[in-house]
Amino acid sequence: MKSNCSHQSDCLKLIQRILDKEASAEDEARFLVNKELCSPCQKGYELELALRQALKSKCTSTCPANLIESIRSKISSVLLLILLLIPLFCWFI
Amino acid sequence: MSTESSSVIALTESQARDLFEKEFVPHMDAMYNFALRLTNDEDDAHDLVQDTCMRAFRFIGSFEPGTYAKAWLFRILKNNFINDYRKKSRGPTKVEFEWVEQSFAGDDDPEPAFQADLQAETVNEMLGDEITSAIQALPVDFRMIIILCDLEEFSYEEMAKILNIPIGTVRSRLHRARTMLKETLAVYAAKRGYKTDMLSA
Repeated sequence: MKSNCSHQSDCLKLIQRILDKEASAEDEARFLVNKELCSPCQKGYELELALRQALKSKCTSTCPANLIESIRSKISSVLLLILLLIPLFCWFI
Repeated sequence: MSTESSSVIALTESQARDLFEKEFVPHMDAMYNFALRLTNDEDDAHDLVQDTCMRAFRFIGSFEPGTYAKAWLFRILKNNFINDYRKKSRGPTKVEFEWVEQSFAGDDDPEPAFQADLQAETVNEMLGDEITSAIQALPVDFRMIIILCDLEEFSYEEMAKILNIPIGTVRSRLHRARTMLKETLAVYAAKRGYKTDMLSA
């Protein structure tokens, strides 16, 4: 297995495109073969994958229930206001 | 009568409520999380999401049923943040990360390379606080694109529309954001005694 990668920049861009689901199937297959032969590419792939998993597991939060209720209430107020204003508007014209 | 008012009036009350429940509510967690990461403050995130939903509701006529409501809502949220919240949002508080922003202050896209002193095992061992602090330390444009891509899994094309930038800029900004994030995490790892490794010479 290679211990040095002479195409780091291109390989990293490809790894990110693969994990972003933006690479072609052909490019992905080519990289997966290369990954088994190149230690820096293998570790680089594992690092990029670990970063995404860490973000997903540690950077999420839940919307407070009172916020959703507050928005529902505001929407109801807007709809009520519109229902009241329409007859008034029609009366004026 | 304004276009936005007429677009709401065009819906019956039950249609408007159904639209909110069906198209807005499923994305509330994602919107709140995005708002929280942008503003760094729970109260500001609360207000930002509320303002975004009310603005989206006013312009509901511009939403095409059957299209991806999440991308449409995120675009409104981003615009709302840029216009009304960006100035008062809390920026990175850690002086130690200032160097990160300074080193990427130029317009040139740096040649990306494997992170030399960070490995997957180190990231796996890191606590949630360290990961979130590193995200919050990123300049907001970079923070935004990492969240859209890695957390919300928007495509490059969707991110280009949400951020109103070309796809090429999406790609280069993502590379830069990820490089900055890894540099920041490497600093954490070194300071807190996590195992580090050299991936490349």
